[in-house]
Amino acid sequence: MNPDYRHHQTLLEALINPACLAHYTNAEWELLIRLARRVKLLGRLALLVKEYGLWECAPLRVTNQLTSALIQATKLRQSTLWELDRILWALEDFDTTIVALKGAAYALTGLPYAEGRLSVDLDLLIPADDLADIESLLKVKGWRHRSMSAYDEHYYRVWSHEIPPLVHAERETEVDIHHTLAPLTSRLKIDSGLLFANAQITSLAKVRLLCPVDMTLHCAINLFQNNELADDLRDLLDLHDLLFFLSRQDTDFWKLLIDRANQLKLGCILYYGLYFSQLIFKTPVPEGAADRLHAKPGNLKRRVMHRLVPLALFPQHPDRPMKRAALARWILYLRSHLIRMPLHILLPHLVYKTVRVIEAKSKAMMR
Amino acid sequence: MLLRNQGLKVAIGPFNVRIHTHHQPLIKQLYMLYSHYRLVQDEIIEFHVRINTERSIRNPLRLNVRFLIDGQSPFESFPEEQALAVLEWGINLAIAVRVNHLLLLHSAVVEKKGAAILFPAWPGSGKTTLCTALCHRGFRLFSDEFGLMDYQRDVIYPIPRLMPLKNESIAVIRKLLPQAVIGQSIPNTHKGTVAHVRPPEESMRLSENTAKARWIIFPKWIVQAETQLEPIADAEAFMLLASNAFNYEVLGAHGFRAVEQLVAQCDCYTLTYSDLDEVTTALHQLIDES
Repeated sequence: MNPDYRHHQTLLEALINPACLAHYTNAEWELLIRLARRVKLLGRLALLVKEYGLWECAPLRVTNQLTSALIQATKLRQSTLWELDRILWALEDFDTTIVALKGAAYALTGLPYAEGRLSVDLDLLIPADDLADIESLLKVKGWRHRSMSAYDEHYYRVWSHEIPPLVHAERETEVDIHHTLAPLTSRLKIDSGLLFANAQITSLAKVRLLCPVDMTLHCAINLFQNNELADDLRDLLDLHDLLFFLSRQDTDFWKLLIDRANQLKLGCILYYGLYFSQLIFKTPVPEGAADRLHAKPGNLKRRVMHRLVPLALFPQHPDRPMKRAALARWILYLRSHLIRMPLHILLPHLVYKTVRVIEAKSKAMMR
Repeated sequence: MLLRNQGLKVAIGPFNVRIHTHHQPLIKQLYMLYSHYRLVQDEIIEFHVRINTERSIRNPLRLNVRFLIDGQSPFESFPEEQALAVLEWGINLAIAVRVNHLLLLHSAVVEKKGAAILFPAWPGSGKTTLCTALCHRGFRLFSDEFGLMDYQRDVIYPIPRLMPLKNESIAVIRKLLPQAVIGQSIPNTHKGTVAHVRPPEESMRLSENTAKARWIIFPKWIVQAETQLEPIADAEAFMLLASNAFNYEVLGAHGFRAVEQLVAQCDCYTLTYSDLDEVTTALHQLIDES
């Protein structure tokens, strides 16, 4: 194997074939911990080491770090769910529906390994019509926006699919309130009404979860539409988990998933999701499932993405970063912006961001 | 040489740290101040850190230093003169952010007769100065910054780090302890002027010997104050200790039980003082008479 990619294997083998950890050397463990930490998978690794009965034979310096990560994950999950509880308290007298997304949703569904997932923010989807009311109610009850420039405010309010993050004065968990699942400036127009219509109830009044196929699609949207993919291996693993576990719960899962992707015009995004989940995590996607997607990326795009995406998703070797991976990440960064915004908004946006980075750097120098 | 090539690997208390740098002045300072740390080979390293130099964007004639951990930069760069302070600060930050298998108290810790004495305190209360004086006068240094409690085994780990004296304390300690090895003064850091004291060799050599906590003393340096040790109630000590720990909240129930355990097994005092000779005598007396 190409030695440049050997560290990908060190991480991937641990994730998909944890039994092999029994033969890891100290040097491999050390590298594995550093890589897993970078892509927010240390908590997951801890669960796998326990599940495979390897805790006792792993080096103490490793299990200490895994313990630390598990404790942190537990605390973050508790904080996230507590923040949700406080939001419900604040909105007690307001009739609305709140859909929990991402980490909070995985915790509420009881997705396996959810207790090892490091989720820092609470992500919620609410009906666009209730947005103004909910925002002002939360502000009355102690949530605040972080201070931000007029440009950033405009970015959130006019172009984004979420409002500026809210944080309660007494706590640290950031609340991201979405009114749809993709930026308003992107070509994706997702009808949130359809998502709410199929949302499923939970044990918490007012709180809903996206139905299994929508939850899966949302994960794919985040990866291949909203994110820049650098170090996002954790999110692809989320997608693998969703595909793997939800398809076991419902024999119609694959058919429903493809139909829903077609209905919401998310064919390309789901195509990439299935392709890379299968390529990297060996997800058992039924043969020919993707053939029924109405929209698929063209041949050239597929080949380019095949080369670039793994270089971005896997962490760089912490001591020997590859120029090739840096380039791939830069190209995907541009791609993520191109698909999020039309050029007349994008170019000034990138200029603004670049100037701000330079400003911030030179300010730091002046101190 | 090690610092430039594969990195200097040292055991700092229960953690292994690998330090990389090409910055010549820092290499010199580390050569003097890190000389007693045990070198590590073929062991797993928890913290991989690096001090890189870079040109300032506004003033290309100036060099800045940047702290990196696992290739990531957690904070901005600083003028190159501050390299040692930035390295020490960065390692402390990394420990505070990552470690949850231990209760991390923001505390100086010394040991005598096999028992650990914790001095939990907030910045500016003089714990580093006090700790420097004590560990050169009959106490063994555990740490001037971290009280590391293994809450599974109920022991405190030594983690002897360089002790950063600030501002007026530097002259005070130079005068009081002419034998102390102190690095050069670094002016204009975010904490004012800082100079690092090398832990006594004996404390470094014994840094793998743990101890049980026996005393918790909340110190406060006050101008002209008499030396005064006042016992405090367990409940008050509990609250002070819980709010002092870096990771009390993250640890949840573990944190609660760890603090409970500490308060139960320790005698707890508040301490006000201004004279380092006096306070040293008072503390020796306290321990010897018990």
